[in-house]
Amino acid sequence: MGRYLIRRLLLAAPVVVGILLITFLIKAAVPTDAVTAMYQGQMSEKDAAQAIAALQAKFHLDLPWYQQLLIYGRDLLHGDLGESIRLRRPVMDEIGFRYVNTLLLTGAALAIALVVGVTTGVVAAAKRNTWLDVTATAIGLFGISMPAFFFGLLLILVVSVWLKLLPVVPHGPIAILLPALSLGLIEAAPISRVTRTSMIDVLRRDYIRAARARGAGELSLILRHGLPNALLVVLTVVGLQIGNLLGGAFIIETIFSWHGIGELAVNSIKWRDFTLTQAIILVSALSYLFLNLAVDVLYAWLDPRVEIQA
Amino acid sequence: MRPTSVSNVQIPEGAAGLGKVNAMLTRRRLLISSLAAAGATAGPLTLASPFARAGAPGSANIRIEIDPEGLYNVQSISLIVSNVLGGYLLERLVYLDEKGEPKPWLAESWETSDDGKMITFKLKPGKTFHDGTPFNAEAVKFLFDTILDPNSASPSKGIIGPLEKVDAVDDMTVRFTFSKPFAPFLGLLGQSFFGFNSPTAVKAAGSAYARHPVGTGPFMFKSWTPGTEVVVVRNPNFKQFRPDAANQGLPYLDSITLRVMTEEGVVASALQTGELDVASLTADAMKPFDGDAGYVIITDKHAKNLMFMEFDYKKAPFSDLKFREAISYAIDRAGVLQAAFGGDGAVAQGPLSRGIPGYDDAVATQFGTPYDPAKAKAILDSLGWVSKDGGVRSKDGVPAHFTVRSYADGTTERGLAVIQANLAAVGIQVDVGTSDWGSFYPTLLKPDWDMDLNRWTWSDPSVMSQLFRSPGHRQLLPPNPAIDSALDAADGELDFKKRMQDVSDAQKAIIEDRLILPILTDWPITVTRKAVEGYHLDYLGYVYAGDLKIAAD
Amino acid sequence: MSAALEDAPQFEAESRLAQFAARFLANHSAAFGGLILLLLIVCAAFAPLIAPHDPLAINPVMRLRPPSAEHWFGTDEVGRDLLSRIVYGCRYFLLICFVAASISASSGTLLGLIAGAGSPLADGLVMRLMDVMLAFPYILLVLVVVAILGPSLWTGMIAVGVAGIPGYARVVRAAVLTVRREDYVEGARVLGASRAQIMFGTVLPNVLSPLIVYLSFATPLAALLASALSFVGLGAQPPAPEWGAMLVNSRTFLFSAWWAVAAPGTALFFAIFGLNLLGNGLRDIIDPQS
Repeated sequence: MGRYLIRRLLLAAPVVVGILLITFLIKAAVPTDAVTAMYQGQMSEKDAAQAIAALQAKFHLDLPWYQQLLIYGRDLLHGDLGESIRLRRPVMDEIGFRYVNTLLLTGAALAIALVVGVTTGVVAAAKRNTWLDVTATAIGLFGISMPAFFFGLLLILVVSVWLKLLPVVPHGPIAILLPALSLGLIEAAPISRVTRTSMIDVLRRDYIRAARARGAGELSLILRHGLPNALLVVLTVVGLQIGNLLGGAFIIETIFSWHGIGELAVNSIKWRDFTLTQAIILVSALSYLFLNLAVDVLYAWLDPRVEIQA
Repeated sequence: MRPTSVSNVQIPEGAAGLGKVNAMLTRRRLLISSLAAAGATAGPLTLASPFARAGAPGSANIRIEIDPEGLYNVQSISLIVSNVLGGYLLERLVYLDEKGEPKPWLAESWETSDDGKMITFKLKPGKTFHDGTPFNAEAVKFLFDTILDPNSASPSKGIIGPLEKVDAVDDMTVRFTFSKPFAPFLGLLGQSFFGFNSPTAVKAAGSAYARHPVGTGPFMFKSWTPGTEVVVVRNPNFKQFRPDAANQGLPYLDSITLRVMTEEGVVASALQTGELDVASLTADAMKPFDGDAGYVIITDKHAKNLMFMEFDYKKAPFSDLKFREAISYAIDRAGVLQAAFGGDGAVAQGPLSRGIPGYDDAVATQFGTPYDPAKAKAILDSLGWVSKDGGVRSKDGVPAHFTVRSYADGTTERGLAVIQANLAAVGIQVDVGTSDWGSFYPTLLKPDWDMDLNRWTWSDPSVMSQLFRSPGHRQLLPPNPAIDSALDAADGELDFKKRMQDVSDAQKAIIEDRLILPILTDWPITVTRKAVEGYHLDYLGYVYAGDLKIAAD
Repeated sequence: MSAALEDAPQFEAESRLAQFAARFLANHSAAFGGLILLLLIVCAAFAPLIAPHDPLAINPVMRLRPPSAEHWFGTDEVGRDLLSRIVYGCRYFLLICFVAASISASSGTLLGLIAGAGSPLADGLVMRLMDVMLAFPYILLVLVVVAILGPSLWTGMIAVGVAGIPGYARVVRAAVLTVRREDYVEGARVLGASRAQIMFGTVLPNVLSPLIVYLSFATPLAALLASALSFVGLGAQPPAPEWGAMLVNSRTFLFSAWWAVAAPGTALFFAIFGLNLLGNGLRDIIDPQS
């Protein structure tokens, strides 16, 4: 396992470098930068030039892209993510709390998705081809057909405006409920279907039939045999969806004013604040790689048949 | 032969490959569920009701549209920063009365030298900053020195261009020295960009000052949750130096929470549930409150903005005045206003908006162009732009096919839809496109656009100089003696009445040249709950925060 | 039960197509999904005949009117008839699905074939590339593309297409790896077929089945992604009646003119749901075990 981990980490390194490379290449290609974006239209060209020059020098925006990349790399190794051009404060201050928020939202959404998805999948498999199954499948298909922001807006409309169950802009921990529901219910659908499929698959096996013939209860069969195997497959699905959840939640974050990384990512491009963008790209990529690794390792640990080729 | 089916779940063959997984577990602990549970831990649960935010009588919830980037006026003059600092936290040397004339505020009086290059202010004694330090000439000097310092990269520096230096003659006297007479200065001094920060606090906080401003205003900064809200509390040592404020004593409210809310639809709902007391809204979002006795709708008819179209003047046919005039007749300004702002505003025919001193309605009406597609077609015909079968016109084989650009916003997009249809009706085909401001504005320096739909917000007639004094804000204007000399005169004329005449002349010259197509001024709408009393805006659009009161109901 | 006594052959040589069609119609999911798709195609093809108004005709006075006899779905924020815009929107929807799926499927399959059937070096390179593509936050890439190239329908479709490539690559690669170990492939190699011949002649046809299954559920995901991109301004530009763009532009009116939001949102949902139904059914028919 140790060798496997080391190997995976080593393989992750070129990926990170590749990503940084792409980031700086892109930065070179985008025609304007935060400084000019901030001051354009607020003063005449002549007066802006001085201000722009000062800020550009400070943020190394006047150097060629590869030099900027090297400087950034050097700073990174010192743990310095740089300063946001627009906000004039360390990037870490801005990203820190937002990253935590995004993790919270992702975690909550995942929890909802797993609970709802696995339960409906199990029910659908146990009552296969009955109306319960059909309903569960239909709801599942519903979930993956719904554009995220449409669903989010509908939730606000129904829960806050019509039913008045929650304030439109909730405070405190309850604020996570609607956005997590939006994300989670949509993610529940593929989980549900996968659970159902692998459940059905397991329950059809010969040894299960044998156990049934010996008098084992259906419920215990489901829980002891079907569920663990299904969950393994679900883990795989979750691993695939992690990228979506982490990065793609920006719409949900914007609609519900949930101050996470996604919202910041969109804004950082609008402001051309590249120190922010760079940091977000880095953090997202590292999270993705780490989580993938975690899922793979967890998978291997849970399933004794899986060999790890080191 | 049919291959063994690949599971419908695509197993990620990770970097090292985990090998094929086709077996099932026989006995394993269920760890997934605990994983899921671990992922769901939220913060400590409080028992406070999420509805508890409805304003208690001592505090108000006011909406702000976006999170300020920083609360330091030297670094930022954006609208949102300006509103927060100018309405609640910082005070200035002068304010503008209902006619737009500068009146004493923190300054007691001022004197201009004979050559117009020096203004000396006497300050009113007795004012202190929120941190207890005194407001004096040093504080004034400190602000302007910081702005003028190139290392601050302050956007305000360009606004007060000809200012050379500021001296503290004595504790209560300040002298400003200019390289040439600069007429807009006094009017500009009323803006929040020139509000005063405590020099002690700025020096102590360094780059963190923008997170904790210290001024002299009726409210003090208390806290800022980024992206969520800014909380300000009553300044217990406040002295009201402004005679036009209704409340000459301490502010009525204990605290004000400025809540960041970007989604328009959500804002209207929050007003209805009482989570907000005051909110700015678009005309469409305001409709549910119209006629509702529980709410008061305040429309700012002195709005100081202008939406207009401009051209790439270096390109034919836009270098031709008559062509620009034809387009001007073709646009249904009322239609654009209706589509973009729900009709909430006024059609504009001149390059200034009604809220700016010097706006000359007579000039605008006389020289502006009403909506007259027939006339537009006639002019186009006379210029040689003809259409064979009522379709798109062309001249010398070049079809009338152009682009109109704008910045990305619901209002511009709707406005562009109308403009596109208007021009199509007279035989000109236009492609419309928007992009966010950071992309849109710099691209205007390049020659690949024809027309744009733009908008300015400013409080002083010098906006015309900033935009239209050749070579213009996009380096595209040819020198025009009538316009340039009128603008220079207006900027250098320190006598208020004479300056207004110069401003009028400049307006006439710009309109006659069809330099821009003024389209409309939109009126910002604010909706307040009925219990909110004393909400009104001054000439520059800042709220009289000390006058705000919430009636106990 | 046929009691035909004519000279019928022992085994009814029903064409595979006929078999497929029969199974298709019998499967509810596939049948309904197919019906919806057919409806979309008909609307797209005959839009000028079906739509009651010009989808581009603005009318600022009639903006945001609720559904009425004149405008069955109401009007949008500049007074255009929503029903007509929905009908014409079918064209954009189908175009986006087709272009994006084509880009993803073709590039992804090629890469997956190379990775699965090629040398270990090729495998490693392709998979690293896929890793980089997946690790890079997609939305940032899209936004940057918008900043550089400007928003347009084609950039949007390409962006969606490119996003789907790693998924297809992985599926195809996994399928290829499975197939490779089969005897008939070994047989082909023994008989002297070149690598390319093996790749395209033997492996590819047997990879088609999981590929089609994946296509059936990846395409609606691509449609969803396209509508998400409209949220950041990428995709069809005004005044094009594309549902995602319509949904995004009308979202400020959710509480005051809900029909402007409901019409494109429901259309999108309905169309994607139909595709999902169809995919579900196809999966059951082609690959009943999964």
